[in-house]
Order: sequence, then C-alpha cells, then structure tokens
Amino acid sequence: MAPVLVWLILILCLLISIVKYTFALILKWSVPGATVKKDYTYEPTVSVLMPCFNEGKTVYETIESISKSNYPNDRFEVIAQDDCSVDDSHEWMLKAQRDFANIQVRVGRNAVNSGKARSVCNALKLSAAELVISIDSDCIFHPDAIRELAACFSEPKIGSVGGRVGVRNPNESTITAIQTFIYYAAFQVYKVPENWTRSVGCISGCLFAIRRELLLEIEPKIRSRHWFGIPVNQGEDRFLTHQTLLRGYGTYINNDALCWTTVPVTLPELFKQQLRWRRSIVRDLFYTLRTLPQHVWTLHPNTVLTLVLTPLGALLGLLVAITMLSGNPMAWAGPAPLMLYLGIAAVLSWVIRKYSAREAINNPLAFGAYLAWSLVSSLFITTLALCTLDSKDWGTRAKEQEASDGDANRQESAP
Amino acid sequence: MATLTVKKVPPEAKPSVIQPMLYKSVVTIYRIFAILTLYVVLGGVLAYGFVMGFYALNTSWAAPVILSPTDDKSLSFSEKLVTSRQTLEGLNVDKKRLQEGVDEMNKHKTALLALEPELQAAIIREKKHNQATGPQLLELDKQKQADNLKTQVVMAQVKEVEAAIDKDLAAGLITKGDAAAQRAALNQAQSSYTDSKIGEILLTDSVLEKTTTATKSLDVLDKQAELISQIAQLDIAIGVAQKQLHEETQQIDRLKLALTTAKQTPYYLTVSGDSTVYFAFVPYDNQRNVSTGTAVYDCFLNMVVCKKVGTVKQVFAGEEHATHPIFKTDIRGFLVQMQLDHPESAKSKTVFLNRKPLFF
Repeated sequence: MAPVLVWLILILCLLISIVKYTFALILKWSVPGATVKKDYTYEPTVSVLMPCFNEGKTVYETIESISKSNYPNDRFEVIAQDDCSVDDSHEWMLKAQRDFANIQVRVGRNAVNSGKARSVCNALKLSAAELVISIDSDCIFHPDAIRELAACFSEPKIGSVGGRVGVRNPNESTITAIQTFIYYAAFQVYKVPENWTRSVGCISGCLFAIRRELLLEIEPKIRSRHWFGIPVNQGEDRFLTHQTLLRGYGTYINNDALCWTTVPVTLPELFKQQLRWRRSIVRDLFYTLRTLPQHVWTLHPNTVLTLVLTPLGALLGLLVAITMLSGNPMAWAGPAPLMLYLGIAAVLSWVIRKYSAREAINNPLAFGAYLAWSLVSSLFITTLALCTLDSKDWGTRAKEQEASDGDANRQESAP
Repeated sequence: MATLTVKKVPPEAKPSVIQPMLYKSVVTIYRIFAILTLYVVLGGVLAYGFVMGFYALNTSWAAPVILSPTDDKSLSFSEKLVTSRQTLEGLNVDKKRLQEGVDEMNKHKTALLALEPELQAAIIREKKHNQATGPQLLELDKQKQADNLKTQVVMAQVKEVEAAIDKDLAAGLITKGDAAAQRAALNQAQSSYTDSKIGEILLTDSVLEKTTTATKSLDVLDKQAELISQIAQLDIAIGVAQKQLHEETQQIDRLKLALTTAKQTPYYLTVSGDSTVYFAFVPYDNQRNVSTGTAVYDCFLNMVVCKKVGTVKQVFAGEEHATHPIFKTDIRGFLVQMQLDHPESAKSKTVFLNRKPLFF
C-alpha cells in the first residue's frame, strides 16, 4: 500500500509539474496579465541591505555594481552588514564606502556572528526607506535592477518582488553549467504560473525587495524563529516570501530585474548549498502543514499546491530513489533518462544562447551529469537535511558559526 | 496606624523552565535519532555498494527457480509435447499403412513377374510350332487350291450334266428315281466342292496365322506389354511409397530424438514428475563452477554464513534468459537441477555453487 501511495503522490507531483510548465509557457507567450504592470515613474526610497560573511573583495564588487544603478542616487542607499567576518570583508566594505561616494553606503557590523537572517534585521534598523531590497553579498547587479524592482510596487497588493538570478560563472565547471540550466528554467518557466497569481512560493534571497513596513512586521518572527530553541538562520528568503503571502500580499518575480551570482563550482560547495536549501524547504513544509487550514483559507490554491507539493516531491524523491535502487539500479542511469535530460539540455542551451548570451553554455552535454546529481540529491541531501535541522551554519560558507540568541544586534555603524 | 500600602507589583514573568528543558530533550532525542539514522544510511550505502561489488565480481552465484506445471513456459512445453506425441503416433500409423501398401505391391509384382516368363515361353512355343507347321500347311493349301481348281473345272460341267439328266428323263431314258439320285449326287459333289473351298480358305487362314503375325498373336503381345507396363508402374509406385516411407521413418526418428531431448529438459521434469523438482539459473559467467555433483550453498543475507544445502543433480544444455537478481538486467545462462536437502533454499534469492562466496 505504502509504495503505491508514494508513487501516486509522485505521479501527482510530476503531473502538476508538467501542467505547470506547460501552463507557464502558454501564460508567458499569450497572457499579458501574467506580468505586473510596471510603473517606472514610481520611485520610492530604497535601502539595499547587504548582509555579509567572509566574502572578501566580492562585497566591494557588489557595492560597485549597485553604485552604477539606474535609479536616482538620492533615492537609495546601501547598508552593508558584516556578520563578524574573519577575513577582510569589513575593510572592503569600508573601502567601498569611501570609493563610491556617489551613493550613500552605510556599514554595520554585528557584535557576534548572528547568521544572515538576523544580519538583515540588524541592517533594517538603519533603514528608513519605503522599500527594502535584501541582496546577497556575492552578486553583481544590473544597473536597472533597483528601478525594475521598484516599478512593480506600483501595484498596492504586491508585498515582495524578486529579481532573476543569473549565473556569473556558467562555464567554470560541469556543476556550474548544470546550475545555469536549472536557474534559467526556474525563473523563466517554473515561476511564471506563480507570477500569474502573484503567489511566488520562494523569492531568491539574492535579490529580494519588500515593503519596509511589511518587513518590520515580519522582523520579530525572523528574530524569534527557532527550531526547538535553536535559532534558525537559514532560508530567510523562503520564510519572508511565505510570511508575505500569509499576510495577504502578493509576491512576484520580475525577470527584468537582473543580478548575477557566482554559483558553487565544486561538488562539496554545491552539496552544502543544496543541503541548506533543502533544510529550508523541509522546515517550510512542516510549517505549512502545521498551519495548513490557515493556508487553505488565505492563499490561492496554486500557492498552497506549490507550498505543499514542491517540498513533498523533494521528500518523496528520497523514497523513489531507494525504491529504484533496490528494485532496478540500472533504470536510473538508463539511456531513456539520459536522452531526456540531453534533449532538455539541447533546447535550454539554445534558448539561453539566444536570450541570455552572457550565460551561454559551452558544453550542453554537461547536463547529462544531472542524472548522477539527481540521485545524490534525492538520496543524500534530503536525508541529511532531515537529520540536520538543528544546523546553524551559513551553508555555503566554510566556517560554522555560533548563532546568538537573536539579540546580537549591537551596531557599529558608520554614517 | 498607618497602613503601608504597597502597590502590588505584578511578579515579573518568570521565564519558563520547562520549555527550554523540553526543547533540550527534544533536540537531544532528535540528535540521537539523526545520528543513528545517518549511520544507518551510511551503513546502507556501504552495504549497497558492497552488494553491488560482490555480485559484479562473484562467479559462483545461481538464482533458484521454482518451475510450476502451470507456468507459461511449462504449459507451452506441455502443449508442444502433446502435439509432438500426436504427430509421432500419426506418423507411425502412416508408416504402417505405407509399409503394408508396399508389401502388397511387391506381392503383386512378384506374381506378375512370375506370369511374364510363362507367357513368353508360350509365345515362343507357339512360334516354334507355327514355324514347323506353317510351311506344311502352305504346301497343303497350295495342293488344296490345285484340287479345288480341278474340281471347279469339273463343277462347271454340272449344268450340262443336269441338262442331260433332264433330257434323259424327258426322253424316258431314266426314271425319275434315277434322275433324283443323279441330281442328289450332283448336289453332294457341289456341296463337297463348297466344303473344299471353305477348307481351302480356312487353310489359307491357318497358313496366314502360322506364317505371319496374326491378330491373335498381337493380342498376346499386347497382354505381354500390358503386363510389363503393370510391373513397371508397380515399380514406380513401390519406389514412391518406399521413398515416402523413408521420409516418414526419418521424421519419426527426428521426432523421437526431439522427444528424447525434451525429456532431458527441466520443463519435462516439471510437467511429468510427481515430486517437486528444484532448479537454479546459472549465468554463463559462472559456468565454470558448475557440474553434476557440485555442492550448493545457501547463505544468510545472500552472501554470508553459508551452509551446504544440496548438490547439482543435472546440468541442462538449453539456453535460458533471466533477470539479474540484483542489477535487474537481462542475462543469458542455463538451468541446473538441484538435489536439495533443505527445500527452503529454493526460495532464496541466490545460492552459491561449488564454494562459499566469502569463505564462511
């Protein structure tokens, strides 16, 4: 009975995914309502919050890219919050503050290492803007990113808007090539039906814009977020998106607001990142299930389905992988799945080369390796995520940090 | 007395002591559970890798197969067996019938062959006789013809004699009685002449028969030719029948051989035997470890703590296809019959032949 149920749920997830992707393409090409009507005359004040931990010179480059934004300089500021980096990240922040005098850069530093989510909250304290954009400190931003994000907030019911995250290093390794495919498909196709109902399930923390009042309302929840007393520092983007939706606001991805991130190059780096994301997905699923009636009555059915089935699919992937390996180990890496993946890669590669030349992939065949990765991902990452919900690390950063009790917000701000 | 009014200050909300303890307990239990789970996963991965490697390298495993008479293959085999037997019986009946036909034809031929020399001898005898009597008859015929010619001349004068009789009677020279007697003598002479002419013709015929090939002889020859033809036709018919008989005999032999071979297959043992027969599929890669009498081991977890459970009783030659019990790929091999002391081992996923796979 149990395996039948597993397969049924998996088939349901698969069917919904297929319908969703197909629907996304139809929406993308033929339904204007799927996109927000942007008003570029709407120019709220913006605080760009940049939490940082051990990024070194990258923070300088990130601030540099923001300083070139096509947005009135007096209408936005950068608040860089260092989470007690042990490298020279803080010095680079101060240097950026000095070098990019055309914009206001404020540099803050946590008293103790607090994690990304609390660093955002600490940075928020320095902000008085109408709109807050939380970014990752290893990203490079398109000059129009802020303008594009702000233009979407002309719709009053929009609470959070995300940008499209592109890959800076698509051809550095097979692993980066695979991620380029995934990132592109996720933003350009998968998120489209969610955009249509203004109910994107997870806006990437790389480029996350939110109304300041809304963030202030959610902030206590971020600070008090814990797992049986252990502060939760990861997955603040998913949490923020979820909270936005639960408060009756819409969430949206504006694919014209671009930023570029350096994706993990090696398998261990990717493994850590995916583990962090999977933990966040699992936590979110538990949270959704715990408050399912509220979700059902408050949210759009598409949103509920996304919030439940996406993480459920990830969990079931584990069972499917075990079933397949114990039943027919060769089926996973057979010619049919490989041909399917290579077919998808060929199409995506062509689309990316045509519409996003910067991310053009030199070796589309690399996507074939996704077969092996999907096995690792389904089998190990979900298991590890389920067994390490008490983790406190930043995920992609090397050093595990001690999280504070949530009040580690002593500031050392520079004007 | 002054009353000291103390403003009741609400007690400061004490932080719950139970909740942190509860959390700590939950987290501790979770961590223990998580560590155990991860160790189980790690153990599972290592075991999985080991099993994969083990079956990739091992060359002594075989997969027990329990064949039932109601299996598709057994049913198909049974059906073919019945059909073959029916065909064989039909061929035997045909062969017997053909053999009887050939025997009958041979008898007939022998009889005809026996008749043919007698006929030939009779012809020769007759021919000799004719050769001997023919010239004599010819001579007599000539003589007869000469006699008849003479008689004819005499008979030409009969009318004159009759006229003379009538004249003499009219003249009263002779009595009517005399005249009648004379006329009767004349008739008799004419009749004799006629008989003589007939005799001449008959003689001529006889001469013709004796000296030339007459129709009678031709009839005899025709019958002789018919006899020879009949013998030749019989020869052909016997040849055809014997060829057919030979072919059917060969077909019967082939069918018998096929049935003999079929009796040496596991399916025959399954469909015909009363007791349960145990088989095992052996991939070709493991062939060198198999022969009649080879020990069969059954192991715990399909690889360790093995015990001898029987021997290989018979090795079947026919190729079989099966699915690899671990890799689930199609593999080629053959079946062996096992003599099991522990029938439960027939239900194991794998058994090992010749030796214990891990020496314990």
